[in-house]
Amino acid sequence: MILINSIYNEIIKIALKPRSYLGLAAITVLVGVIQFALKADGMSIISFVTASFEQTLTFEGNVLNGNLVAFIILQMLLVQIPLLVALVTGDLVSGEAAMGTIRMLATKPISRVQLLLSKFIAGGIYTLTVILWMGIMSVIVGKLLFGTGDMMVLNSDGLVILQEADVNWRYLGGFAVAFLALFTVSSLSICLSCFTDNSIGPIVATMSIILLFTIIGTLDVRVFDPLKPYLFTTHMASWRSFFEDPLPLTAIWRSIAVLVAHNVVFISVSLYTFHYKDIQS
Amino acid sequence: MPDKIIEVYHLSKKFGSFQAVSDVSFSVYKGDVFGFLGPNGAGKSTSIRCLNSLIQPDSGTVEIFGKSISTHRESILGRIGSIIEKPDFYKYLSAYRNLEIFSRISGKPSSKQEIYKMLDFVGLGGREGDKFAGFSHGMKQRLGIAQTLLHNPDLIILDEPTTGLDPQGIIDIRNLILRLKNEQNKTVLLSSHNLAEIELICNRMVIINKGRSIVEGNVSELMNGENLILRLEASPMPAAKNALLAWKPSLLWDNVGDSSLQFPIEKSEIPGLTKFLIEHDIEIYSLEAKRTLEDYFIKIVNQ
Repeated sequence: MILINSIYNEIIKIALKPRSYLGLAAITVLVGVIQFALKADGMSIISFVTASFEQTLTFEGNVLNGNLVAFIILQMLLVQIPLLVALVTGDLVSGEAAMGTIRMLATKPISRVQLLLSKFIAGGIYTLTVILWMGIMSVIVGKLLFGTGDMMVLNSDGLVILQEADVNWRYLGGFAVAFLALFTVSSLSICLSCFTDNSIGPIVATMSIILLFTIIGTLDVRVFDPLKPYLFTTHMASWRSFFEDPLPLTAIWRSIAVLVAHNVVFISVSLYTFHYKDIQS
Repeated sequence: MPDKIIEVYHLSKKFGSFQAVSDVSFSVYKGDVFGFLGPNGAGKSTSIRCLNSLIQPDSGTVEIFGKSISTHRESILGRIGSIIEKPDFYKYLSAYRNLEIFSRISGKPSSKQEIYKMLDFVGLGGREGDKFAGFSHGMKQRLGIAQTLLHNPDLIILDEPTTGLDPQGIIDIRNLILRLKNEQNKTVLLSSHNLAEIELICNRMVIINKGRSIVEGNVSELMNGENLILRLEASPMPAAKNALLAWKPSLLWDNVGDSSLQFPIEKSEIPGLTKFLIEHDIEIYSLEAKRTLEDYFIKIVNQ
């Protein structure tokens, strides 16, 4: 019961903190700007992409539809979303240490493991909210503005055309994996948050780690090759696998396994550290 | 002998190379208002953090309500209300919402009416909806007291609760502590470097310095037999000085202005001295027994 009460507390704190709405506001503005740009001049962008196929293929119907627009938006924004998540979750422990409220919480009859777990769960709920909002803004609003139709995806293997009826479940799967990837960012930031009493440090550290791992993942240097499959950043774009045909199930499950493993490590390290931590703030 | 509520036994804690607490031992009994006295940096807050399980001691034991805090943490903390150093709350939340949050994980969640009643009790009635960020220092302390008492704890630990308060605020907190003891028989551990505060409120105390407990006991017993400093305002002053020398030839005094002087005296000597001065036609305007614990404390700390 006390764990549920603590989770409720954490949700209330996130919900009433003005900073929590920065991410949602940023998503609204960014998606709005991209949708406006695509509405105004989207067809010329699409023509640029389809020009190389026009000798062999004929494109008919609503090519620039909500399904494609949502895909374009997600591809552009899912790189920035970790920052918006870390902005709130990186503060969950260290922010309380900086304010002194962690001292007050830790003198209550709730175990430190429960206290920290409630923060992880609340962080997860916030991450889910961000993802859902992203989904509403990009997919639902996108479909309302641009209509629906078959989806054309250009990936490394070439052009993939997905039937309109075949798209929604792919978005659901894609968002589920994207949530797992963002929850990994949330876990990492909370984990870093347990090591310091500075509220900004874990946010900056989380973004630095993501940047470093992304650079390692994209550098074509042989010494990093064995590392790449195990970096969580390598799997952060795995949501895109749901828009391949046929579905690369092995790759998707591997990504899920790597992300879950990272979460287990981050949460375990956090619980151990926080359980034995001397609270001096 | 009343029940032991707190028993601290050979508590030690080191931060890096700094020995914050070294071999501190003391006991607090049911119904005590126990003074935890020491200068700044003496190790009071570290000891109190060990009592609340915020810090793990390197050695020694802390037993509260007869159980070890290291093995019965949650059940013990559910019966304690504490303010450690200063009450810190969520700045962006209202007084009511802050109390609600801490109450929800206190083991005895309070109803809305109970929270409003507690806010009234500490003098914050009508300010329930105001954000903590806008509170004055005194209001923050009051909210801290409200948070401490809301779940009706058996043991109240207050670390420097009057720091930064105005005189009325200090009196209010002092009266509140006495009410908790007298009306509700609560046990209170009061940490302070304010000697007068300890002397006025506490029945027992421990003095801690440089991380070590130096002396523990009943406040009045520890004070017994200690010299007072008596300030005497009398006229005519030359005759008063002669009378004082006649009363005790070895007496040494300090002049305080033209009409007063002060000198050490034992409490039991005051009635005899007063009578002696009157018999020598000295007009006494005031007799003020200064210091008590302060000198005792300085003497103990400097030993």
